[in-house]
Amino acid sequence: MKLGDVIGGYRVVTEPTNAGGGKCVWAFAEKDGREYFLKRFLEPKRPREGSGGSAVSRRIRLESCREFEERHRSIMKLLRPDASGAGNLVLATDFFHSGSTYYKVTERIDTASLQTPESLGPKQKSVLLRTLASSLRLLHDIEIVHGDLKPANVLVQQREGAAFHTAKLIDFDDSYLSGRPPEREDIAGDSLYGAPEWRRYVQGDEAVGSADLTTAVDMFALGLMTHTYLTGSLPAYDARFGSPADAVNAAEPLTADDRLGTPMQALIAALTAAAPKDRPTVADFLTALKDPEACTLHDAAQPRPARRSRVQFNPPDHPRTVAPEPGGEGPPRSRVRINLGSHRKERS
Amino acid sequence: MTTELEKYHGNLQYAVDIVMCIDATGSMNPVLDIVKNSSLQFHQRLGEVMARKSKEISQLRLKVIAFRDFGDDPSDAIEQTDFLRLPQQVGEFEKFVRGLRATGGGDIPESGLEALALAINAPWETGLDRRRHVIVMFTDAPAHPLGTVGASAQTYPRDIPRSMDDLFEQWGYARSQTAVMEQSAKRLVLFAPEEEPWKEAIGEEWDLTLHFPSRAGEGLEEFEMDEIIETIANSL
Repeated sequence: MKLGDVIGGYRVVTEPTNAGGGKCVWAFAEKDGREYFLKRFLEPKRPREGSGGSAVSRRIRLESCREFEERHRSIMKLLRPDASGAGNLVLATDFFHSGSTYYKVTERIDTASLQTPESLGPKQKSVLLRTLASSLRLLHDIEIVHGDLKPANVLVQQREGAAFHTAKLIDFDDSYLSGRPPEREDIAGDSLYGAPEWRRYVQGDEAVGSADLTTAVDMFALGLMTHTYLTGSLPAYDARFGSPADAVNAAEPLTADDRLGTPMQALIAALTAAAPKDRPTVADFLTALKDPEACTLHDAAQPRPARRSRVQFNPPDHPRTVAPEPGGEGPPRSRVRINLGSHRKERS
Repeated sequence: MTTELEKYHGNLQYAVDIVMCIDATGSMNPVLDIVKNSSLQFHQRLGEVMARKSKEISQLRLKVIAFRDFGDDPSDAIEQTDFLRLPQQVGEFEKFVRGLRATGGGDIPESGLEALALAINAPWETGLDRRRHVIVMFTDAPAHPLGTVGASAQTYPRDIPRSMDDLFEQWGYARSQTAVMEQSAKRLVLFAPEEEPWKEAIGEEWDLTLHFPSRAGEGLEEFEMDEIIETIANSL
């Protein structure tokens, strides 16, 4: 692929690059007067007539290609760009091979992204996080794990004339069905935003199997991203650890910024819990963010949530927090609840 | 790349191995210094990019294979280092790279495929938790077919494939039984002309390969180390 090439009817209009992509080369392209994003996959390669390799190797490679096509087409079928609520998902509009190489096409989108979401006000932040979570819910509702949720895969944008910034979720090529991830050697994921069970899976920990990699993997990353969007940085963890998940795996919980409200600190603690089953679902997350106040970054330190407190945002009949118990030390005991129990689906 | 801080032993450990195959024939004269300088700065730039992403490589090793033409002078057709661990062996790495001279080459095609075959068969890291194995080819010329020009010379590598088909099988593909490199770890980055074997036989047919064309016979005008760094940094 190079500037000026026409591939599958798409004319390449920018110099191809691998910037931001680990296993692809991409460029912008045009077809019938419309602009597109054209992605060239580095694998698999479809054997061509007369190309090298034995008959056995040809059969193995064709089988890999068949599975690759099936995976992409099934996700395209499940996630259609015109589906209700899919407006903030950047979905494929075309998928094909030209010669030996596979390509995927999405609409050309403005790739500019607000680099400092933490500078937004609480209501703006709330809308931003809720649009991100709504996109994620579309995936989770059909049991798809994004698998590589991180700031680089989210575009924070404000449409002309719009009051709020929204989050566009991109790059589903590492997605997998909940509980059915790729093999340990092959699974994608980010070393910083990866969940504890993802890291143990990659490390070959036999106690973690494919069934343990569920949509809760995305919820851990969402917890980290929420903290980053609200404060400008990840939750704190000891410098001995290579990542938040390494710290959590060593039974050292992450420390949320204490300028966040107590319920938000509790929500982030729950999202970054070591056990996948202890993390809120994306529906829980959306409920928790109904009140934009939850996204406030205060000037002063806020009380820490009580350990093992159950926190629910905006309960109708109770104050958000109560005063510390008389004579008690430390933060006040939270009486607000996330209420994870009743509508949580059991995860195997 | 690790700091003085004592790290938690359970951290996910990443190993990155890179083999740079560098065409050191006469036509590379205008650009060899650029390639050399970029190579020398490579580990520092990679470290900076990774630090910006709050990520860390646990072990970084580089190996250089300089090649010319077995058909012109078999005695200096291949010069190579072992895998050198950086930053610990940076002195050895720099001494070798600084010593490279663009000379010889004879006819236009060079012995780039022999260098590539040696790279594929290098002793890649098999330990730590995750690995990235990258071969980078810098050349401004097409390549002689394997096992032909200069193949009877004493210095010609003995244990490399003698045909493109066999080299393809060694490079491999998902579920290959003959691949010598780890499928999920490997990448091949070509800074090479749109000539064979780089353009079609490898650039189109081999998986996990990125081809950034240079103009044949004119030397690599310039290249960006960024492509190589992106290949590594985005996949960890």
